[in-house]
Amino acid sequence: MYDLIIIGGGPGGVAAGIYASRKKLNSAMIAESFGGQSVVSADIQNWIGTKSLSGLSLADALESHLRAQGGIEIIDGDRVAAIEKSARGFEVTTKNGKNLETRTILVASGSRHRRLGIPGEDRLDGKGVVWCSTCDAPLFGGKAVAVIGAGNAGLEAVRDSIPYAVKIYLIVRGDSVKGDAQTFEDIKNNPKVEVIYQAEAKEILGEAFVSGLKYLDKKDNSSKDLKVEGVFVEIGAIPNSDFLGTLVEKNEFGAVLTDRFQKTSLPGIWAAGDVTDLPYRQNNISAGDAIKAVLDIDDFLSRNRG
Amino acid sequence: MANQVIIYSTPSCVYCKMAKDFFAKNGVEYVEHNVASDEKARKEMVDKSHQLGVPVIDVNGEIHVGFNRPELERALGLR
Repeated sequence: MYDLIIIGGGPGGVAAGIYASRKKLNSAMIAESFGGQSVVSADIQNWIGTKSLSGLSLADALESHLRAQGGIEIIDGDRVAAIEKSARGFEVTTKNGKNLETRTILVASGSRHRRLGIPGEDRLDGKGVVWCSTCDAPLFGGKAVAVIGAGNAGLEAVRDSIPYAVKIYLIVRGDSVKGDAQTFEDIKNNPKVEVIYQAEAKEILGEAFVSGLKYLDKKDNSSKDLKVEGVFVEIGAIPNSDFLGTLVEKNEFGAVLTDRFQKTSLPGIWAAGDVTDLPYRQNNISAGDAIKAVLDIDDFLSRNRG
Repeated sequence: MANQVIIYSTPSCVYCKMAKDFFAKNGVEYVEHNVASDEKARKEMVDKSHQLGVPVIDVNGEIHVGFNRPELERALGLR
């Protein structure tokens, strides 16, 4: 029986794993892979302590720091299928058929891309509709592309496309950009980049591959078409909380509700990072919140020994 | 009989690198085509996979889009 099972291998999960090892908790981590959502970022400049590093480097650093602790069982390439209450805690079943029993659980499973939910998006997925700009931006050399979303991920998608595309439309739903001003500065004056404010993507056009994007221009309520062969979708995230079912309370977006100790509504289960209803989604914050959770879990276990 | 593995990738693609790390860890030999610079390879990739995302991994003629470890383990006979 474990003291703690950590679900997720991003900055939250790894921070938790490191602290749990050092507290000598008998713990296990179940993660599909290491690094979290920013593994696809070409350049992370705000991971405190490091001026610049790629998402993949961050993933490698997190993994090696965790593995160097020893004393934690790492189950990678797997994911949680179900959690059930048991006599002294919880039973966790994984997709690859593992069964583990634990006193406590820390959910740090992060979130995934929000989809637009517009016609053409599913049909043309992988045929010009792009979810990973670092992977696929180089495939649009000499072509026009549209990036939907103006948070950091969207701005970075524009930046990733600049060396390749001939024209990049940045489709912004509101009247201002949400991402870091610094990143916006780096891209907005590039002659290839055209920022379209108050625009809502309505349909992705194309037969076998993407050939255009239809959007609503809210400034004059007219429908406009852009000739593009790539559409990069970066409109935010959906919490990966499905596997929890109704075990814990969530908000209307599926984000797990927690108190200031990261406790969920179910005693014995904590949650941290993008899977929760935290106000700001950042690697540094996920790490901090996950550590808070582990320290609280350690207190809980000490008070409830035997 | 040895597996015939081809990977179509771009230089900055993280999932492509994960796939190559996975091949290295398991002693799998492969041929790599950089579809950012090689037009002919890009066309080949699109013809084989009917889509435009990387990585595309051809294992003995079976086409895999993206890096899915359990699927690749099965295709390579590693599990």
